[in-house]
Amino acid sequence: MSSSGGSREEILGRIRRATESAVPDPAASYAALQRYYVRVGRVGVDERVALMIERMREYDAEVVETAPESLPETIAAQLAASGRHTFVAPEGLPATWMPAGFEWMIDRGLSTGEIEKADGVVTAAFCGIADSGTIVLHHSAAEGRRVISLLPDWHLCVLRASDVVETLPEYFARCTKAPGLATYISGPSATADIEMTRIKGVHGPRFLHLIFVRDERA
Amino acid sequence: MSNPVLEGQSAGASHPILDPVKAPPFPEAAFTILRNTQLRKNVAHATDVIQGKRNKLVEEKADWQELRAAGSALRNHVLENLGHYLEQFEERCTAAGGVVHWARDADEARAIILEILRQEQATEVIKIKTMTSAEIQLNPAIEAAGIKAFETDLAEIILQLGEDEPSHIVVPALHVNRTQVREIFARRMNRPELTDDPTELTGAARSFLREKFLRVPTAISGANFLIAETGSVVIVESEGNGRMCLTLPRTMITLAGIEKVIPRFQDLEIMLQVLARSATGERMNPYSSLWTGVTPGDGPQRFHVVLLDNGRSEILGKERERQTLKCIRCGACMNTCPVYRQTGGHAYGSVYAGPIGAILTPQLMRLEHAQTLPYASSLCGACYDVCPVKINIPEILIDLRAKVTDKEREEERRFFDPMYLGMIVANFLFASPRRFRLAQRMGRFGLRLFTRKDGWIHSLPSIGARWTMTRDLRGLPRETFREWWAGRAAPGGKRGR
Amino acid sequence: MAFCNNDLSMRASLFITCYNDTLYPETGRAVVRLLERLGVEVEFRPAQTCCGQMHANTGFRAEAYSQAKRFVRLYRDAETVVIPSSSCVAMIRDQYPGLFEELGNEELRRDFAALLPRVHELSEFLIDTVAVEDVGAYFPHRVTYHASCHGLRALHLGDRPFRLLAKVRGLEQVPLANLDRCCGFGGTFSVKNAEVSSAMLSTKLMDVLSTRAEYCTALDNSCLMHIGGALHRQFAAMRTVHLAEILASTEATPLEASL
Repeated sequence: MSSSGGSREEILGRIRRATESAVPDPAASYAALQRYYVRVGRVGVDERVALMIERMREYDAEVVETAPESLPETIAAQLAASGRHTFVAPEGLPATWMPAGFEWMIDRGLSTGEIEKADGVVTAAFCGIADSGTIVLHHSAAEGRRVISLLPDWHLCVLRASDVVETLPEYFARCTKAPGLATYISGPSATADIEMTRIKGVHGPRFLHLIFVRDERA
Repeated sequence: MSNPVLEGQSAGASHPILDPVKAPPFPEAAFTILRNTQLRKNVAHATDVIQGKRNKLVEEKADWQELRAAGSALRNHVLENLGHYLEQFEERCTAAGGVVHWARDADEARAIILEILRQEQATEVIKIKTMTSAEIQLNPAIEAAGIKAFETDLAEIILQLGEDEPSHIVVPALHVNRTQVREIFARRMNRPELTDDPTELTGAARSFLREKFLRVPTAISGANFLIAETGSVVIVESEGNGRMCLTLPRTMITLAGIEKVIPRFQDLEIMLQVLARSATGERMNPYSSLWTGVTPGDGPQRFHVVLLDNGRSEILGKERERQTLKCIRCGACMNTCPVYRQTGGHAYGSVYAGPIGAILTPQLMRLEHAQTLPYASSLCGACYDVCPVKINIPEILIDLRAKVTDKEREEERRFFDPMYLGMIVANFLFASPRRFRLAQRMGRFGLRLFTRKDGWIHSLPSIGARWTMTRDLRGLPRETFREWWAGRAAPGGKRGR
Repeated sequence: MAFCNNDLSMRASLFITCYNDTLYPETGRAVVRLLERLGVEVEFRPAQTCCGQMHANTGFRAEAYSQAKRFVRLYRDAETVVIPSSSCVAMIRDQYPGLFEELGNEELRRDFAALLPRVHELSEFLIDTVAVEDVGAYFPHRVTYHASCHGLRALHLGDRPFRLLAKVRGLEQVPLANLDRCCGFGGTFSVKNAEVSSAMLSTKLMDVLSTRAEYCTALDNSCLMHIGGALHRQFAAMRTVHLAEILASTEATPLEASL
């Protein structure tokens, strides 16, 4: 299709000539790179969760905590308080997370038109990073395809306290394998393009709710 | 109700030229732009806001300098092994279902992208903001092929609809204020009822774009990072238009400079920490997305990466200049630059403005154009202080000045350049203390002509006029320091005065 | 640390700088007066001319190198070199290494490497070498301090100038807003980009004038020539003065009136 083959060799040739004097063992020089930045958090789980709640409230996300056994009720309360009725659920979302009294659209390949009809979405999350108030989605079965947490205007996320880390490097340490897909949410969609005035909710859910499941005590 | 002053100053009134081949020299461009006080106010406000937020977060980050050091070392390492990491990226991305293309220059990159669009039978494309696509002037080429290209970043829409050009790499429409945005949206979106409330304007953009996201099957993006280890691409954004373009269309084309690669997924732990703080003054930007090739059932099922050289491999080969390629396009340098603060980005005549533009653009142009950009700096060093990957921009500026001067040494015009001649003469004078003393005496004598009764010079000819246009100059004292010292040590001279 | 005039048996070679020599000799005279008062013996080598900064920063590398060579040869055997100009010291510290590496020979590189630790900017010399903060100065005026870029970012002078100013009797220090923002001089930038330089200057003047100080001071007469030139043009009720002249000023020998 493209003449890229020749271009590829030419570019790589130019690069090779430009870096001729470099050390030929990238693995060794990579391993030797010094990393003196903070790589481990210092606080316990209670403070981590408190920090994450603080950060998320700073960007107007709604956060509640719950004991593991009360999770289904807490979800039901959040859904009821939203005034919304139809929710998308990832295929792998636990059944106990889908209380009765609401319409559930399980995503087994929903079209965008169908997703557009929903009022909100409920998903799990892989991890939380307290320092930046970041929710990490690896889009597993319980987190769902990327589109379902993007199109609806309201997103409820369930995160275990034991899955909260303090610092970004700790998140990477947790990833035994790099994810193929990942979305990092650290605030609702926002823009500051007009006179640096921060406006929320350009694209993506304008309402973000998080339930912390306190499955671990300090 | 038209205001002739505002109209003349509104964005796009005189279309800025961001083609370094055609743009006027920096001093000339700056001269006109400096009279646009609205623009200067907007630029100062925007950069103050971001800088303030950035400084606050950097102060609270105890390991900020360690992160900078690690980021700098990592980027240096990548550049030293660029071929290795690009090949690794290509292999992994291809294994994951992506198609990797290599473009030697802008022409080739445009051709590759247009060919893909032709095969897709695309009539429209949606775009995520990417300076790289502006660098290769992609949109005009797409339009010329009869395809409509829709920008989806709020700033880019403002610029596209306003027929304007970006003036900052992170906040491209920072030179435009709300009144100007209202005018553009009202006219081009046919929404005359819009007020200039930013919330309402943003809402207008949201509706304007939503139908495009749901309809257009082909998207073009840039990349913040390419991950060699996994063949993944990372995009960092605030609005969510990136996420829309990354998940809804059928085909995704990512255009990325070859320097965007980083070795491993884990290296994002450095880059993401420094990028958001430097670019927008946040601990983390609202949305970051990572994807690898094609994922069945989730997102675009056809994925292309176009790796762009366009002069980068040449910069790579230059010892002092190679660090230019460490850049992660955070924009912190332009936010802190006191020159950029006064002129905004358009004066640089390139999509890359501010300190990074002053070193990158001339190099991409092989110093055949944009030769005034390395001089568009007072060498204050503020940019180096804030650069998250420690690019020593002042060092490169000085080196590029030497290269530009070396070119001038071969040219006839140097004999007519008072600055050039002045420098040669000055060097001649500095080479001998006797000559220097003589020059001091002659200068003192000659400048007496221009020295007024208050002992100051208010007006000088030639290059001197460039000083006296806004500053007085004190007349040369009747005794230089060395004359005073000589008199002091001489027999009968006063010691210890 | 108190002002002292005991015998330090320290000798400093003054590199006055080309522009101070010609345009601001009173700064040099002040440095001499000040150092001798502190018990430092000052010498002056008349073979000196320029450090090469102007040429280096404008792109005339070979010419800058020839001046750098002269500097190193001239001061090879000096005990200490003191320079009342942070940009010139920055030139020597930051750019001389590259110049000698690229264009020099083994011997010159050695000589330079040996000389470099003995080169000091004035406030560094006072605080670090002579080890004084109180130099016995008297200057009963409102003064604001502008941090020249080279002193701030290249030499990392930090709080040295403030510590010296704090001990000047009668002096009222007024903080300058945005004191770390470049004034716009930038050497030949001030004429090659005169308009932008002037725009930066107008921004700086806003901060300087709003201090309502009587004097604006700094460690570089280059910045002060630029700021002072505009103050004078506008008939402002403020003037500029090099820090050395404030420090040299006493009751007995107050600041020399400028022309």
